[in-house]
Amino acid sequence: MPDLAIDIRGVTKRYAEHVAVRDLSLQVPRGAVYGLLGPNGAGKTTTIRMILDIIAPDQGSITLFGKRHTDNGVLDRVGYLPEERGLYKKMKVREVLKFLAELKGIPGNEAETRIVTWMERMSLKTADKDWGDSKVDELSRGMQQKVQFIGTLLHDPDLVILDEPFSGLDPINAQALKDTVVELKARGKTVIFSTHIMENAEKLCDAVCIIANGEKVLDGAVSAVKAAHAGRTVVVAFDGAPDAAVDAVLRDRSMVANMDDQNRFLELELADGATAGELLQRLVAAGASLQRFERVQPSLHRIFLEKVGATGVEAGMSGHG
Amino acid sequence: MGKLIAIIKREYLERVRTKWFAIATLLGPVLFLAITVLPVLFVSRTKASVESTNITIIDATAAGLGARVAAQLRDTAKTTPLVRVTLPSELIEAESLATRAVRDKSREGYLILDSLTVQGSKARYAGRNSTTVPDMSRIGNAVEKAVLALRLEGTGLTQSRIDSLTRVDVRLEKTQLSDSGREKSGAGSTILGLVVAFLLYMVLVLYGQTVLRSVIEEKTTRVAEVVISSVRPEILLAGKIIGIGGVAVTQMAVWMASSLWIGANVVPMFLKSRSPGMGAAAADSLARSNDLLSNIPTFSLGLLVALLLFFILGFIFYSCLYAAVGSTVNSESEAQQAATPVVMLLILSAVFIQPVALAPQSTLSAVMSMLPFSAPIMMPMRMSLVAVPAWQVAVSLGGMLIACVAAIWFSARIYRVGLLMYGKRPSFAELFKWLRYS
Repeated sequence: MPDLAIDIRGVTKRYAEHVAVRDLSLQVPRGAVYGLLGPNGAGKTTTIRMILDIIAPDQGSITLFGKRHTDNGVLDRVGYLPEERGLYKKMKVREVLKFLAELKGIPGNEAETRIVTWMERMSLKTADKDWGDSKVDELSRGMQQKVQFIGTLLHDPDLVILDEPFSGLDPINAQALKDTVVELKARGKTVIFSTHIMENAEKLCDAVCIIANGEKVLDGAVSAVKAAHAGRTVVVAFDGAPDAAVDAVLRDRSMVANMDDQNRFLELELADGATAGELLQRLVAAGASLQRFERVQPSLHRIFLEKVGATGVEAGMSGHG
Repeated sequence: MGKLIAIIKREYLERVRTKWFAIATLLGPVLFLAITVLPVLFVSRTKASVESTNITIIDATAAGLGARVAAQLRDTAKTTPLVRVTLPSELIEAESLATRAVRDKSREGYLILDSLTVQGSKARYAGRNSTTVPDMSRIGNAVEKAVLALRLEGTGLTQSRIDSLTRVDVRLEKTQLSDSGREKSGAGSTILGLVVAFLLYMVLVLYGQTVLRSVIEEKTTRVAEVVISSVRPEILLAGKIIGIGGVAVTQMAVWMASSLWIGANVVPMFLKSRSPGMGAAAADSLARSNDLLSNIPTFSLGLLVALLLFFILGFIFYSCLYAAVGSTVNSESEAQQAATPVVMLLILSAVFIQPVALAPQSTLSAVMSMLPFSAPIMMPMRMSLVAVPAWQVAVSLGGMLIACVAAIWFSARIYRVGLLMYGKRPSFAELFKWLRYS
């Protein structure tokens, strides 16, 4: 059994009208960057809130670092950036950060030195300007995001939980966030983040869990997940528009199960029983002038669409996402 | 525990540091002084109202009563009443003439004296100032004295003898006796009681609303979610109520200390410096108001403790309710509507402040001071007015304790669920469901 940062077993959360999370189990190894993927309303935020003991599960158990998450001091080792961000608008930046640190059990004077370091690092405190004495609502949105981010990490948590961290970030802050995640991992911290943007997850995550309608669809290391779905995806591109004969091959359901036009190329999913060689032969026989024919590993995005399908999207309720 | 202290500290310091707090805390006593002392001064001053003498006296008694009344009124003021002697048959005509004088504003009103007045049963007054209590009591006194003088004259007494006999001006000094034998000035107590009640009402409303706004702020800025990922919502709620309650207690303490200081040092100075060059009547009324002020009882330690205890319980009760309301709404404007039931409880208490102050021993007063929602305002007020039986105080405190426990239980549950619910405001049925969630 590997050393687990998070161990969720058989967790269910029901609301009056629907089941937000149903019998969910997932394990996040210590030191991993873990992606919680799913469409809006899949139960990601509910899962995260249960990990943080903001809401209590109806069934199941949650352990963090081998201890029950409700045990004294366990949640002090967790840093949380909620999807909907917000700070006390009328408070000074330094005071807000100090307050957030104190809530995690960091004494005030210790917090103050850390705040200075972090603010310098996030360029909120430079030689010309120290934003620490400004009120939060005097800061730009981008700067407020930085402050919130500092608040998440100030107590040097061993587990960092980020709910939709990339939503609303400008490219510069998104880059800073990505760098920080990589650095946290390098320091042996565990990072778990939820997103519905697969590209981010694909780039950053060691492992992922895809949930839809409150249930786990698949989970595992990204490489394993992709390997499991490999060999079925082919990318083709033609010189000019394909003629009718080529088009007929592409539309043959016994050959191509699914076709996704990406504008500059087509992403094809082979039908069961069909092989890439067969497809290539048929296309050449039909007289296609191929520019590109390549067996690729499917993107997480593709796997996600394949697994979740149209049914997983649009279901569920917002606010419990 | 450290986290609770961090929350209390934040709630307390963030509010105490604001300009609004500094201004309200400094100006509060001035305002209280204006509310409590100035009316006393005004009432005393208007004793010798000029209007009470600028009247027409229609004398249909044929016994010269009008001239006597005029003489009584003339005693204390510069203007002289106009005496019109008429026959009873011409009374209507004289009255319409006097009415005209009132209309063209040359006279304030008119007084009709007739045979019934001489018998001692009634006189009639009409005028612009007929609702001014000091004026009316002055005119009434003058008529009574004049009738008395007339009757004494009938017994054959000399004029100078009559004058000396009727020159009576008894001032009733009221002293409140309590079971413990403590003495308080009646009028002073009433003022103190009203001050206590309004102070409590004001602070409960102001700081209850502060709790409401604070909850809404955390909810709408979404900072609540960060906070309750670190502490349990019950701790956040407790810290908030203790922190804001601390602000309220701080403000009340400053208010009371500075009010007492002003009352003890500034007001007497102010009164003395105005003394020279005043007429006899003014000096007399000043003596009365001075008397009144010096009789305002100082807060006894027992009353102070009771005040604090009732305030704390009342504040917990109301701020819990306000917090529950705040957690169910999405904006301050929605909160105004949602808070109506809580506000109604406070207003209901405020409506009864005066009836209870005027009759602190009545059944109504006893009941109002024992009902948990009005007790924090009514009981301290009654205690500063009269000696409240110990069992009533005990019932009141016990009831409030139970109400507080219920309010904490209720609002902690609503708060926990409501804080993370956005969108439609819950119905009562949904609220009931929330109670069973955790």
